[in-house]
Amino acid sequence: MTEDQIYAAIVEIISQTLDDKGLDVPEITPATEVLGDELGIDSLDLATLVSELEKKIGFDPFAKGFIEFKTVGELTKLYVR
Amino acid sequence: MRHVIVTGGSRGLGAVMIEGLLADGYRVSTCSRKKTDNIARLEAHPEYGPYFFWQACEVGEADQVDAFVEAAVAWAGDDGLWGLVNNAGVAQAGILASFPNVESERIIKINLLGTIQMARAASKVMLAQKPSENQGGRIINISSIIGTRGYNGLSAYSASKAGVDGFSRALARELGRRQITVNSVAPGYVATEMSSTLSPSQLKQIVGRTPLGRLADEDDILNAVRFFLSDGARMITGQTLIIDGGIST
Repeated sequence: MTEDQIYAAIVEIISQTLDDKGLDVPEITPATEVLGDELGIDSLDLATLVSELEKKIGFDPFAKGFIEFKTVGELTKLYVR
Repeated sequence: MRHVIVTGGSRGLGAVMIEGLLADGYRVSTCSRKKTDNIARLEAHPEYGPYFFWQACEVGEADQVDAFVEAAVAWAGDDGLWGLVNNAGVAQAGILASFPNVESERIIKINLLGTIQMARAASKVMLAQKPSENQGGRIINISSIIGTRGYNGLSAYSASKAGVDGFSRALARELGRRQITVNSVAPGYVATEMSSTLSPSQLKQIVGRTPLGRLADEDDILNAVRFFLSDGARMITGQTLIIDGGIST
């Protein structure tokens, strides 16, 4: 998948997650913090997001250890190969 | 059809659970280090064979665990993954002062680390399943009353099983919101190969102290697993169910 496709997939999953939780879906940009107050995503939602991305993209960038990231854009880059 | 992974299914309690769950109508995957005659028999079984999957995997080796779960889920297709029964385990007796460190490491690696690795791989699959597919899930960890009661000569084994119970409680809190339950089933002294680490006189003493007057058998454990896998257990998580004929009361 291209970087744009990965980014779109992440935004889609986050939007669906927020919708499932009954939360408003704000405008998401590459600078939006994944775990910040802005979105309302918690650690279980993030684990679900990472699991869904592994299913779609075929690998888990966190398999070999923690990698720090804050924003949707930084998370996207972890999946670019 | 609900798909359940049972680790360590080549013999003993695991083999009984696999056949019992196949008879109940589950799709069942299992792993073991080597294929046994029993595995080959189930693969060729006219009724169960199409719903049974086996792959070699050394529980405790993370890469092999991930590969096994991935292969099992791919085999199950749209059935995804409903349950995981962490059954694979080893027991070795010896007074700690003369017990080789390498044996303690092996026990912890297979019984505790292997359980954690399997649950990690399985929970990722369960979390990624859409509500329209297979909502929620079940993780059942086979521990032991030796984890809570202790037993002379089984200190490393006891530590591994106490760790499994603590792991169940914590993971239950993590996954509860997604309707994935996590529980331990803690057999007392079961008449299986695992209890062969105990001497005949120890076993006789245990039976004598058991209110129900016998050792549990594999079916007693299977029935507890059946219950935790069922919809009837949907409100139970983070618990350890002791199957010991009342010896620990």
